[in-house]
Amino acid sequence: MKLEALPWLILFLPLLAATVITLFTQKNRSVSAGLSIGAVVIAFLLSVLFVKVNGFAPEQRELAVNWLSIGDTFQIDFGFRLDPLSLGMILMVTGVASLIHIYSVGYMHDDPSFSRFFACLSLFTFSMLGIVLSNNFLQTFIFWELVGVSSYLLIGFWYEKPSAADAAKKAFITNRLGDFGFILGILIVWATLGSLNFEVLQSKAGVNAEALGAMATIGGLLIFCGAVGKSAQFPLHVWLPDAMEGPTPVSALIHAATMVAAGVYMLCRVFFILNAPALEVISYIGGFTALMAALIAVQQNDIKRILAYSTLSQLGYMVMAVGLAGQTAAMFHLMTHAFFKALLFLGSGSVILAMHHEQDIWHMGALRKKTPVTYWTFLVGTLALAGLWPLSGFFSKDSILALAQHKHNYLLFGVALFVAFLTTFYMFRLVFVVFFSSAKSKHAEHAHESPGVMTWPLRILAVLSVIGGVIGIEALFNRQFAPEQTEHAHGIVAQLIYPFQHAPVAAISGLIVFALGLVAAYALYAKATKDPLPEKLGALSRAMRNRFYFDELYEATVIRLHDLIAAIAGWFDRWIIEGFAIGLVRGGTDFAGRALRLVQTGNLQTYALLFVLGVAVLLYFALGR
Amino acid sequence: MTTLSYIFLLPLIAAFVLALVPRNFAVIMRLGAVIATFITAILAVKMFWGFDSAVADANGYKFVSTIPWLGAESLGLACKLGVDGINVGLVLMGAIVAFAAACCSWEIKSREKEFYILLLVMTGGILGAFASLDLFFFYFFHELALVPTFIMIGLWGRGEKKNYAAFQITLYLSAGALIALIGLIALYLAVPVELRTFDIPTLTNYFLNNPMAAATQNFIFPLLLFGFGILVSLWPFHTWAPIGYGSAPTATAMLHAGVLKKFGLYGLIRVALPMMPEAAQSWMHVLAWLCVGNLLYCGWVAMQQKNFNWLVGYSSVAHMGFIFLGIASLTLVGVTGAVLVMVAHGFLAALTFGLSGYIYQQTGTLEMKDLGGLLRKLPFIGTALIMAAFAGCGLPGFANFAGEVTVFFGVWQEPSLRLIVVLACWGALIIGAVYMLRAVRNVLHADLPEKWANVSDAPHIWRKLPFIILIFSLVLFGFLPRLLTDKITPVASTIVQMARPVAAREAAVANEVLGLATPASGQAATASDEAAAQPKADTPATTDNQ
Repeated sequence: MKLEALPWLILFLPLLAATVITLFTQKNRSVSAGLSIGAVVIAFLLSVLFVKVNGFAPEQRELAVNWLSIGDTFQIDFGFRLDPLSLGMILMVTGVASLIHIYSVGYMHDDPSFSRFFACLSLFTFSMLGIVLSNNFLQTFIFWELVGVSSYLLIGFWYEKPSAADAAKKAFITNRLGDFGFILGILIVWATLGSLNFEVLQSKAGVNAEALGAMATIGGLLIFCGAVGKSAQFPLHVWLPDAMEGPTPVSALIHAATMVAAGVYMLCRVFFILNAPALEVISYIGGFTALMAALIAVQQNDIKRILAYSTLSQLGYMVMAVGLAGQTAAMFHLMTHAFFKALLFLGSGSVILAMHHEQDIWHMGALRKKTPVTYWTFLVGTLALAGLWPLSGFFSKDSILALAQHKHNYLLFGVALFVAFLTTFYMFRLVFVVFFSSAKSKHAEHAHESPGVMTWPLRILAVLSVIGGVIGIEALFNRQFAPEQTEHAHGIVAQLIYPFQHAPVAAISGLIVFALGLVAAYALYAKATKDPLPEKLGALSRAMRNRFYFDELYEATVIRLHDLIAAIAGWFDRWIIEGFAIGLVRGGTDFAGRALRLVQTGNLQTYALLFVLGVAVLLYFALGR
Repeated sequence: MTTLSYIFLLPLIAAFVLALVPRNFAVIMRLGAVIATFITAILAVKMFWGFDSAVADANGYKFVSTIPWLGAESLGLACKLGVDGINVGLVLMGAIVAFAAACCSWEIKSREKEFYILLLVMTGGILGAFASLDLFFFYFFHELALVPTFIMIGLWGRGEKKNYAAFQITLYLSAGALIALIGLIALYLAVPVELRTFDIPTLTNYFLNNPMAAATQNFIFPLLLFGFGILVSLWPFHTWAPIGYGSAPTATAMLHAGVLKKFGLYGLIRVALPMMPEAAQSWMHVLAWLCVGNLLYCGWVAMQQKNFNWLVGYSSVAHMGFIFLGIASLTLVGVTGAVLVMVAHGFLAALTFGLSGYIYQQTGTLEMKDLGGLLRKLPFIGTALIMAAFAGCGLPGFANFAGEVTVFFGVWQEPSLRLIVVLACWGALIIGAVYMLRAVRNVLHADLPEKWANVSDAPHIWRKLPFIILIFSLVLFGFLPRLLTDKITPVASTIVQMARPVAAREAAVANEVLGLATPASGQAATASDEAAAQPKADTPATTDNQ
């Protein structure tokens, strides 16, 4: 393999940028931004160069040095795994991150903590690349945690706002709940298979499918816990909507395109660990999350929260695809979703800036004319997300639908179709209310388009969202996951019509629900000034708007219980342990003192008696024995 | 005289010299302490750097020297100092923390002379206790460091409860030290009269060849376990720690929580495990379950704290649980991890108490409900505190993570302790994150109350330096844990070997002779897999490498 130094550079450049900004260039805004953007753009260019030179599947698949070595059994590498999965992913991560970094210059322009923002963004890029490139479980876990902390720092970027500070804390702790399972899963895998290296594990699990033995299902599900936390799947999904307290570029990069997808990426990476029962659980968790989040999205009014629930729902799709043993479909959707969801979030950021930080869609309206670039790119993103042929979302979503149909899992197929309908519906609800109908506030009347530094990333992402389905992403991941499968569509036209030949039912039903969703949204929202659904749906709408009361439920049960235990422990410590110990020592000393005082009578005869007794005892020990 | 003896003597000499300086020269007191600890720290770094290339004596100790005028030949006492892989990191950590503590003593405005002399005596005592290869001086130096702690809390302590705190900490630690002393005396007497010695390597070798009777072991071991345990705040003997650290002056809390507290753990690893293997085996489950008290219960109590220093105190008690757990596993990986956590926690505790001391100096309170929003006014101190909080909840990149995760892996090798690992993970990942992030939220985030509009950040490099050094150390060993583990592992391996009962040791030897691998645990599959490729590495994980 040539250019072996490149992966190291790609990984550590952003860390270097973060360190230099933190230590030296806090005061100098443009240098900080330049360093951060430079690092990620160079990382992107180097990734392209590396792939150009070595191809997507270099012959030598690993680069590693020893990080920790104790005895024979505990050998931890720090290394890189270079195959189509990781190389495709770093291209996406560095590419999308570059665009979002550039966009941030415009979005964060007036913020006093401009430099800190870029330092955190670079720290995040470093951590994310670490997950993608990792060649072993512990390294993945390390960067997993680092991604969590950079997410914490960025959600809580405006820490003076109590809501942002709380959201950051909630995100970190919820993620930690998932990581708790993850580390236990890693321990089980290590104890039974004796290694943490993916290559070694894969060969062991590949040779002997039963190698994990009785712990296989538990181990697989514990590993999946990590993905549940990071990819915000039910029941740990509650942190992601709150994470929207962070600046919008953060939501685009971390909470839409990359970090939340890390769970799906990790599941694809360690797919060989997961056995059939574990996969079944995974597919239903994914399907349920997709459905629940799409339902909630229908009744949200905050533009970013709608997109957040949409992200949850799409992540549910990906997890479901993994559960149905379709890693290619999952990764395909992950990539196209990164393009159009980053686009949508950046577009919403442009809207929010135009609206002077108003986020309620019912205060917007008629922005189509005022912000044309934002409108057109947002529309492209919406169409891609909703799955209109021939945009990227159509192909990736179709591959998941076709997968469910192919596996004869008609329940999940139905769920996926219904979610596709809901997706079109809530996205066009958003588009109609924000960009069409009439202006509903002063800000909406006076909105103006964002500067070029923000609109150009939108344009580029819009192009990617359009063509993402036919640029060979699916073929790339097929090389990783199904190398024996040779049936590929070649040429643009062949690729465009491939879904209709391969799985016509899925493709056509996908388009039908798209049309239904569009029509329903048009009928209800094209001219609406307030939401008609609450009246029509009543309690269901209220439940949807209140996120099915999950936060309240957790608050009342898990959190309350844990705090209660802590309160009992605190009381016990204060009054029983400390009181008992101190009481015993003080009381004991006191008692001994009182008892000995009785001896000090001042009576000479008593002293003489004691003296004689003492002599007798001594004599007994000296002579008598 | 080696570098090590200068490291140990320098603070004591400085204390002696300062004693001769008239008391009105407060600046000289401060400067003297800072310079003396600085040179000590530099020497310790030099020693750590040169450790790998230094020459080892027959017992594997390096930089060995005897200070001639301390000790008494007629009594068999010799002040013999030396380091191996286990205490070299502790001496380094102790010296760096001592420098940081001396730097952080700006708050002392009365009786500076006494304070700095006591600080230097404490430093010398701590370093001596860790470096001593003589059982008598091992104990004596610990007491030398312990007594100043009590005086410093009583005289320069803060808050209304400082007298009660001094009372409680004295009571507990004296009792702990006394119980350990009984154990150590019994250990000394367990050797036949003509062979009696205080020399730790000699004793270790003697007991390796002539194992103590099981009854004697089971008498002495619990004395050492609980005696040392009280010194390290083993549950349920931990209540002195939060109140003590809550009332102690900053430097005392840094030195005690960071360094001196590790003495008991060091004693367990150095003395108790290798000399009393059978008792170690039989008591280890007791220890493992007690440290659940540290990990879970003290974590929960920490969640309830309203004063930041108390919270940090409880969190430091909770962290001791990882070390106890690693020791209790009696596996190579676990013990190595335990030593790693000892070093990491030393830096971390010093960092946290140093920062909280700074905030206390600015605001006069550490009640979390009165604080808030300080990050805006204190960007440097606040950022450092956030880093400390994350290091405290085991974030990768800081040395604590490397240590804790190593402990988890090591203990997982012992199937009977796996449930405890699950609980420990809960303590580390969830409870730790909850109380640390709540503290960050309450102290640094949200709105700034008006009364703190005048607090000011560390003004110049000298105020920042101690924190920078401590963070740098945490990050350095977090990124490159092998700097420590490569030194620890060979020694830990010998100790773990000794700490196995004779029967198991013989079985291991027999296996090696026969070239067989006996599956002894869940790890067995691995071992036999590897055995095919590497005939030499055929020992099952629980017996580790020979």
